[in-house]
Amino acid sequence: MENSMSIILGGWLSAGLTIFLFSFLYKDNPLFKIAEHLYLGVGMGWWFIVLLYGTWIPKAYEPFMQGEYVLIIPVLLGLSLVTQFIPRISWISRYGFTFIMGYGAGLVLPLNLATDFMAQIAGTIKPFSQLASMSWGAIINSFLIAIGAVCVLAYFYFSVEHKGIVKKASNIGIYFLMIYFGASFGNTVMARFSLLYGRFDLLYDFSGASYAFATPIIIILTVGFFALKHFMDKKKNSGAAQP
Amino acid sequence: MKKTELLLVFFSFLFLWPGLSFALNGKSNIALPLIEDAIAEDMPYDSGGDILLRWPADEDDEGVVYEIYAKTESSENEWKLADSFKAFEKTADKMRMPFWAWSHGSDEYAVKIPIKSVDGDADIGTVLCFKIKAFRDGKPIAESAILCASSDDNWFNLPRLNGLLMVILITAAFFMTMSRAKKKGLFIRRIAGLDAIDEAIGRATEMGKPIYYSTGINGMSSVNTIASLSILGEVSKKVAEYDSIIKVPHYDPIVMSVAKETVKQSYIEAGRPDSYHDDANFFLSSDQFSYAASLDGMIEREKPAACFFMGYFLAESLLLTEVGASAGAIQIAATDSESQLPFFFTSCDYTLIGEELYAAGAYLSKEPMLLSVLKLQDFGKLFMMLSVLIGGIAIALAAVFHCDGFVKGLLDFFTNY
Repeated sequence: MENSMSIILGGWLSAGLTIFLFSFLYKDNPLFKIAEHLYLGVGMGWWFIVLLYGTWIPKAYEPFMQGEYVLIIPVLLGLSLVTQFIPRISWISRYGFTFIMGYGAGLVLPLNLATDFMAQIAGTIKPFSQLASMSWGAIINSFLIAIGAVCVLAYFYFSVEHKGIVKKASNIGIYFLMIYFGASFGNTVMARFSLLYGRFDLLYDFSGASYAFATPIIIILTVGFFALKHFMDKKKNSGAAQP
Repeated sequence: MKKTELLLVFFSFLFLWPGLSFALNGKSNIALPLIEDAIAEDMPYDSGGDILLRWPADEDDEGVVYEIYAKTESSENEWKLADSFKAFEKTADKMRMPFWAWSHGSDEYAVKIPIKSVDGDADIGTVLCFKIKAFRDGKPIAESAILCASSDDNWFNLPRLNGLLMVILITAAFFMTMSRAKKKGLFIRRIAGLDAIDEAIGRATEMGKPIYYSTGINGMSSVNTIASLSILGEVSKKVAEYDSIIKVPHYDPIVMSVAKETVKQSYIEAGRPDSYHDDANFFLSSDQFSYAASLDGMIEREKPAACFFMGYFLAESLLLTEVGASAGAIQIAATDSESQLPFFFTSCDYTLIGEELYAAGAYLSKEPMLLSVLKLQDFGKLFMMLSVLIGGIAIALAAVFHCDGFVKGLLDFFTNY
């Protein structure tokens, strides 16, 4: 199957940038720097376009042009943040920040209280109202969750010295935490490996004739570049060491 | 034919006519029995998105299927099926409402109809009409009168009264602990990871290398970022005292602006405003992996003596700390992002777990305001522990002795409506 020139170029770019980024595993090098700066620039450009077309135009410019003049207030608050660039009037930005902080705290407080606090208590004690209809496994599970919740909270209790029963409870809490972290670690590592396989799979795809052997050629060129650089650095160093 | 026979034929025809008519036209013209006392009203305490229909439930309803038809008052369109359910499936006691805002029981049906499901263009104030029909074995047996109502947006969400009470309780407790913190001071147990901050800054000063401090990838409205900035204030104060160099690369421009003020203030408080450089805080990228790649490059090139990763992190956590470890930096991490904590454990010298991040700012500064916030959090944890222990036992006993009202009341209090 023959690919068009743009698809082949895309394959070369993708394979090249992947290999350049992987080259960091060897050591910091100019190829990695190229990929790093390109990634940073593209990331910034991408977010600029997303914010421009996803927020600024549909949520500020267009409604304003249609007569929703009240939008001038949030727009001005937002623009006040830009005054940070002009030291003489940078104090204006505090109005915007104050609003963001106040709004954020006001939004988060009732939300977190409801979801991270009260709903957690309800979720932990609710199974105890259904013990009669639960299997033994579910009953043990409910008790484990309740004991785990209390002991982990004891670990994070800062107002008393961890001695006596508090120490015992917090030690049990640490076991619960470590079991959770172990499971989480395994789960995440597996997910990362699947990403790595995906990348290798792409590199394999790009190594075929349909992509003009992008992967092997770039790998050979990269290794050649490192060998050449190593040789030149060595020569430079030995030259500098001579009296 | 006799007169009486004629009358008999006439009355027979009269009684047979509806059935004959139904057979001929395919539908009945008989007026069905009325579902009485049915009402349509605005759904109480909501933001105006629903209409509530209520009508009495009868013991003989077993096997009955109810269908609710709806249309906008002004439309000429046909009635549209809005809901259908079997008898006793949607009685009022099954409505997700707490006991303090809902007193209707199992003796009536209560059905919530979203106005948008009737008409996509319907808005608050649009009058909608409803008709309830009851069927048994597929045949209509009763129907309601046409019920019309419009929704309204309510100012007060009574089901969330528990949340309001908790906020009031927390606010009162905050002022009490604040007053106590100012008068007597408050005790906080030792947090091991934080004692290493001095060691890390001292090492950076001795080596003449910079310290990198990342506030994570969350915005300014996140608690973890706020906590991170309060630690940054203390770290940069020590950096100013030791005349070391701090570099704070940012993911979020708003966090960067606040962090600038924080670092500047710390230098002023340390009596070293002349040592402050505005470029200590700098923006990298709002793209997660661009940020990680760029910060990795900087750490690899500058080989900092210490790296602090305080705040919210996701998949970039290991990318950052692995490079920091290979650069030989002493690394202290703190996050409440539980999925990333294992990675910090494996690659950092010290890791603050979850709540310790919030406690760190108070622990380092000993400021009454932060101490009282920490104390308040501890009150919250104590409340939670006691609620789980006592509430769990109480609810189990109540369930054994069939005190259903108590069980519902207790669960209602802790439920987010």
